[in-house]
Order: sequence, then structure tokens, then C-alpha cells
Amino acid sequence: MEPLDLPLDESEIELATEPMLLNVGPSHPAMHGTVRVVMELSGENIERCDVQVGYLHRGFEKMCERGTWTQVFPYVDRCNYVSPMLNNVGFAMACEKMLGILVPERCQYYRMILGELARMSDHLTCDGAMAMELGAFTPFLWMIKGREMIWDLMEEETGARLTHSFGRVGGMAAPPTDGFKEHARAVKDHCLRIVEEVERLLLGNRIFLDRLEDIGVVPAADAISLGWTGPCLRASGVPFDVRKAHPYLKYGEIEFDVPVGQSGDCFDRFMVRIEELKQCGRIIDQCLERMPDNGPINVDDPRVVLPPKEDVYSTIEGTIQHFKIVMEGLKLPAGEVYSYTEGGNGELGYYLVSDGSGTPWRVRIRPPCFLITGGLERVITGQMIADVVPCFGSLNMIGGECDR
Amino acid sequence: MPTFKIDDREIPFQPGDTVIRAAQRAGIDVPHYCWHPGLSVAANCRMCLVELLPPKGRPAMLLDVLRWDPEKKDYVPEKKPKLVPACQQAVAEGMEVLSESSEHVERARSSVQEMLLLNHPVDCPICDQAGECRLQDYWLEHQSKQKRMRDEPVHKPKAVVFGPTIVYDAERCILCTRCIRVCDEVARDPVLSIRERGNLGEITVAPGRQLDHPYTLMTEFVCPVGALTATDFRFKARVWFLRSARTVCVGCATGCSSFTDYDPRNQTVYRYRPRENLAVNKYWMCDEGMLDYRRIHSRRVLEARIDGEPTSVKSALERAAELLKGVPADRLAVVLSAQHSNEDNFALLRLGRDLLGSANLFVSGRPQGTGDSILRHPDKNPNSAGVSALGGAHPPRPVVELARALGDGKLTHVLALGSELPAPDLASPLRKATVVALSSHEGPWVEAAAVVLPAATWAESDGTFVNAKGMAQESEKAITPRGDSLPAWRLVSELGALLGAAIGWKRVRDVRTAMGPDPAAAVARAEVSP
Repeated sequence: MEPLDLPLDESEIELATEPMLLNVGPSHPAMHGTVRVVMELSGENIERCDVQVGYLHRGFEKMCERGTWTQVFPYVDRCNYVSPMLNNVGFAMACEKMLGILVPERCQYYRMILGELARMSDHLTCDGAMAMELGAFTPFLWMIKGREMIWDLMEEETGARLTHSFGRVGGMAAPPTDGFKEHARAVKDHCLRIVEEVERLLLGNRIFLDRLEDIGVVPAADAISLGWTGPCLRASGVPFDVRKAHPYLKYGEIEFDVPVGQSGDCFDRFMVRIEELKQCGRIIDQCLERMPDNGPINVDDPRVVLPPKEDVYSTIEGTIQHFKIVMEGLKLPAGEVYSYTEGGNGELGYYLVSDGSGTPWRVRIRPPCFLITGGLERVITGQMIADVVPCFGSLNMIGGECDR
Repeated sequence: MPTFKIDDREIPFQPGDTVIRAAQRAGIDVPHYCWHPGLSVAANCRMCLVELLPPKGRPAMLLDVLRWDPEKKDYVPEKKPKLVPACQQAVAEGMEVLSESSEHVERARSSVQEMLLLNHPVDCPICDQAGECRLQDYWLEHQSKQKRMRDEPVHKPKAVVFGPTIVYDAERCILCTRCIRVCDEVARDPVLSIRERGNLGEITVAPGRQLDHPYTLMTEFVCPVGALTATDFRFKARVWFLRSARTVCVGCATGCSSFTDYDPRNQTVYRYRPRENLAVNKYWMCDEGMLDYRRIHSRRVLEARIDGEPTSVKSALERAAELLKGVPADRLAVVLSAQHSNEDNFALLRLGRDLLGSANLFVSGRPQGTGDSILRHPDKNPNSAGVSALGGAHPPRPVVELARALGDGKLTHVLALGSELPAPDLASPLRKATVVALSSHEGPWVEAAAVVLPAATWAESDGTFVNAKGMAQESEKAITPRGDSLPAWRLVSELGALLGAAIGWKRVRDVRTAMGPDPAAAVARAEVSP
């Protein structure tokens, strides 16, 4: 092909320009999960855009309505699959709210430690991926190494690295392992060291900062009206954290700060997560100190908790209890409940309706990602095409949770 | 109506009511094992104990008891009101009963439940009753804790064969005596009783006898635990996989209200259960009816046939239309079936009498059987009354007359619904005629027919049956029609279309709309049972 060496003197030739439509996704390396963004470009500027979600819709809520309440746990695992423990605990707490039961103190701390570790895994993944997508591969590898350690711990505790299905109504599937506290402390320390190293690598890097600062700015008012919660809302300067605003488990007794950003740009969202990683460390420290080494993990309520296996095999009472919970399902009193906890990306709400039978009548999830992804259009319109990557990365859309 | 109070709730009652009966009518469930609304009161399980408040100004009747105090680690004296069984206590105006709201009642029920499970084997995984067992339900509701006994449970005989239909497990038995009372009061054959006492007690059959009267399966039906199991149902299905359709037993002209329990996954019917209907069968069904479900799956005609060769329904319908087209109306016989529902028979009447013009109406069905004064009717057809009412001024004649007419050569073509004949000697004259049969089962009609159209059974289609008392009852569809079979009214509708008659019924509702309320037949469309 001959080189195009036409004399391009703009005064002579009027170039006809028309907006270019650019489609990214639903299957694209820069799209976390399957989401599709159609952009109308003028040069490199995004004039208009259309964010299309739903490619990962599995009918999760409907699936929940055909088994027992306990059988919902594996489904909620697969909502935010980067921090499934938070989903597990959130769902268990919604059911417990309906039953009016409170799990033992040891279980509350256990849930908090595992939950904060899951939050660390969530934030490590998000910030690591954000750096990688901007060309900084090393921080990603380091952070994912930290996440691997967390998952090792999860595997030790639950038997599964990713989808634990470890929560239970009225407690957890198993008590902490013998070496849990030492293991958790070591993992946390190691992850915090990684966070410091990542900070040293990135925060003096002009290119990295330029790609993030003043990009994708969302003022506080906008973030609130979009229904944002979690790190994205706090990056815009609103200090709302469910753990502080409506303390659950033992969060009311634990000291930790809620980091907030100033301008609500991509950098603030990155930094809020970095700071929250450190706060997670503080929370885990305090919980490990306070968690009793002995004592029950599950409530003593035969309506919801499975009997010990040896009782099931040797006594009729144990067999009946097991039969009732497994075959008919534990029964939540008829009624409805909205229960909310701080998930990895913000307020994770469960709206449950029970008709008093062993099968959920309605399981509705308020996924933080859905509302945050709803703001993506607002964030990237007017930005340059290259800014889509950090903007999208900083929102941390999780397809499983967003599309359900 | 006079009232009394349970847990502060005002409840009306009828004179002669017991507490449990009045409560049940008001929708309050007082836990019980031995009480059954259709049987006499035994008051032996003690599960329905309630507290009776003393009349105003009178002291309560209190018992001196000892209560274990875990703090003092000793027994302490205590006063406890004397509780009464709700199944035996007659209600009086203004009476105040405490059931769930009484701490004493809850403790008593928990203790009763604990005692009933003392010697109970760990059988739930292999017990047919699991899933519909009172012991399981009440354990969670009233006991919810481990028993305190640490001794080896008493072992008693297991899998004792009581007769051809029932197997007894003495370890599971709570000796509520419901089965004994069913034999005494319903079947009027007192063949069961208890031997031994206390925790050695067990149900036993009278010496030299078997449990073999015509109502043996009712003993299993009333058993609140898994002590009595039906040989027929044993280890066949787990009840939590079964769904129930509200049906009518088609075993005889009594038309007992029943549930048809089927597994929706493999579309198989596993059992019938009686459905309470005080106007027809009260709470009961006979063995013959209970086991009649087996006909749904045995000896079925599942594909269309032309001259005995299997073929598609479509080509069989075309062949049938070919055979029936142009036949003079006075040579065509239309045979209704007392085995089939009003809907099926009405459809055939519409085609044969109203559209093809035949005035030769007959009715066939199963042969007569034994009857009794309890439930069983000698007429083994569920819809004899419905079919004769459908005929209006000219009710169909017995199929014996058809055989005679065929022998004389007056009739040459037969359009028949049903599978059976009331007498075996009627089969041979059928061979002289050209028969189009809509049959659900193998039998004389299928053997004689030039064209067989596979009809659905009662379990596979909605239908209305009129019993010997003239009561119309609707029976729900349980499973989807097996094989190529279709409801007979549907086959008739399609055959009619090929013969140039636009019937065009697609749903059973269409047939019912066409039937309309039929005053001549005095068929009440409303369902009788509650």
C-alpha cells in the first residue's frame, strides 16, 4: 500500500468529521467482568456513552427462592466473589435479624476478622488491578500475592479459597482452627507491608499520579444522588460507613477511622482503599485480641443449628433435628426484613421476605456495585478515551454482584 | 352460639364439643397423637393436655409436686395445676382454657414428647413416615432438646407382618390405639389390640387372625408415626418429593374424596389418601379404593392402534373418521362409559348423538363387585349416575342390549368410550361390528376395535364424577397423560373436526362451558367437599 502523503493543509481541505462509535466489551480485558460500554467519540473525547450491564445475570434471586434458607449461602458467595465472606455474613445476619437471635461473642469476632480479611482481599484486588491497567504490573503481582495469603487462610478456615459458603444462620459452619489467630495476624502483617511497599512504588510516580488526579471527579452531592456507598462515596468526602453509622457485630466497640477523600477523583478512590486496608489491619488486631479462645460459635437454638453429627447418628432427637433442618429447611418467621452491612464496595443490603415456610419467599439483594456502576456513565462522559480504564477500575464493578 | 376462651381468644362452640374439636374448628391446632376426629376419644397420649382455669371465686385444683432445682441441686416442693386432656374435656359456656400460653402445659407437652421418644429407634432415614411424622413435628415445636435418659432403649419386634397390606414396627409405636379404634369403629372388625403394658406394650393381631378386613389401610393412614406401614407404599417414595392433587376415587360409585399423591419428576402416582368429606366418605377409604391407583399405570393403552398395529394418534384419528363417515345414523351405536367423567361422556354424546345423529346410546363399565354398609358400593363404576343423567330423557341403555342388536345385525358401527365390559360374554358380539374405541386400558374394547384411540385416565385429566348419591365432585388432574394418550374429550373434539363438526375444544374449561349447568341431570357443579 502506498504511503498516504497527501499534503494536508487544513486551510485547503475541509475534513469531514463525524462522531465515532466505539464499543468496548462485554468481553474485553479492560472490563472487569462482562460489561459493555458504547462510547461516542469526538477525537479522543467521550461525548456520550452508554453503559450496558446484565451480561452476567444468572437469576440469582429467583434461584434462592426454590431451596432452603441455608442453601442461599452458596449463591451469595457468587455475588461479590472477591469478598464472599462479607456476603455470607451479611446474609446470615439478615436471617438472624428476622429470627431475633444474636450469635455468641466468639462468633461475632470471628465473623469480623474473616470479614475484614475479605475486605482486604477486595481492596488489594481493586487497587492492584487499577495499577496494572495503568502499566504498573509489579504492584499488582505484589498485591495479588497478599490476596493469595488471605485465601490460604480462608482455605485453612473454610476449606475453600474463593467460594467458602461458610456462613450459617446462627453461627458459622465450623469453629476457628487452632492456629487461626497466629495465622491471621501473620497474614494481616504481611499484607500491610505489601501496602506500604506499593505506596512507595506508586505514590511518587508522576505518570501514575497524572493518570488518576482530577480524573473522573464525582462531587459529594452527585455521589449521594447516585446512591453510592462505600469507598467510592467516601472518596467524594462523605464519611458514611455502615460499620460506623449503624454498628453491627462488635464494630461499635472497636476503634477505627473512616478515611475520606477530598475531590472524589480516581486518585481519591485509590487512596481511600489504601487507607481502608490499614484500618482493616487495626480492626483485625483489636478483634484478635478480644476474641475468646473457647466458647460456642453457634447459638444454642435447635430451630436453626444442626446438631453434632454423632447425635444425628445415635439419637432420635438428633436425627429429627437434622431431618427438620435439612429436609424442610430452617423456618424464618413470616414477615420481611431489610438488613445491611458494609460490603467491599459499600452498603450490602438484603431484603428478605418469609412466608414462614422453609423456603425463601423473596430474596432481594441491594448490591453496592449496581448503583456505583450506574454512575459510570456520569464519570466517564467528557473524559478522554484512555481515562475509561482508571475510572472504571476505581469503581470496582463486580459483575456477579452487579448483574446477579 | 355460646363461646369459651383458649389463650384469651374467644371461640364459639356447639353443644357437646370437646375443647380440641372446637379449637380445631376455629383453626387452632392443639397438638395430639391419639385423638382423631372420626374416632372415639382415648385420651391416652396426653399430648393435648391443657390448663383449665377454675370458675370465678373457686380455688384451682393444685397438685403437690417436686421440681428439680438446678441451683440448689435438689428437688423443691411446688404446686402445679391439674391439667386435662383437651380431647376429652367437654366445653362449657365461659370456660377459660390455657394452651400455649401456659408454662405448665408447655412443660407437660415437652415431657410427654420426651417420653414418647425414650425408646424410639433412630429410624427416620429409613422410615416411610419421615416428613409427615407427628413425632418429628412436635419434637421441634414442643421438646427441642435431647432426652435425659442414658439407658439402652427397650427393643421390640420390627417389621411384623400384620396381614397382606400392613407391616408393623413395635419400636416406633407410641400405642395411641388409633389403629385399634379404626378396626373396631370403622371396619367393625376388632382384630387389633394391645398386649403387655408400659414400655413393653405393643399392638398385636387377634390369635388365629390376620389384619385382612377391607379397611386395613386406614390403620396405616391414621397412624401418627411410622409404626404401621403399607406393604404397597413401603420404601417406594419419600413423601417430601410427592405432590397431592385433590381427586375422587373411581373405584366404585361411592366416589370417596381422595388425594392422589404423585411424584412430579417422573410423573408417577404412588398412593391415594382419603380426603375429608363428611358428606361422602367422612375420613376414610377402603383398601380396594386405596390400591386402585395402580390401575393408572398398569395395562395402559399408550399408543393409537389400527387393526391392532401401533400407529400415531393422527393417522388413527383419520382412519376412524374414514370408518365413521357416511354410516347411516340408525346403524351407528354410541357407547358411553360409566368409568369416565361427565366431560368425556358429554363430548362423546355431542359427537355421536348431536352431530352424527345416532339415537342408539349405550353405557358400559366394570362388572359389579362386592359392597358393604360402610363405604364400598357394589357398582364399581364411579359415574353411572352422571352418565344416565347426561342422557336426559333418553338415558343410555345397558351394553347387553348392544350385544343383542349387534347379533341381529341391526347395528354395524360402534363408537365407544371406555375399556371394560360388565360381563365377559359380551365381548364376542363386538367382533361383528366396526368398532372405534377410546380406551385407556387393555381389555375387550381394545381387542375388538378396528381403531383404538389412547384415552387418558382420571388421574391425567380434570373431570367431574357423579356418585351413587347424585353428588357431583370434581377431580383434579395429577400427572400429565402418559404415552400418546389424550383426554377422551380432546380425542372426540379432534375426531369431530375430521368428521366435519367444528367442536374445537382445547381445554377442559371449553367442555364445561359447552355443558353448562344441566338442570335435567340435577348435577350440581359445585364441589361437595370442603
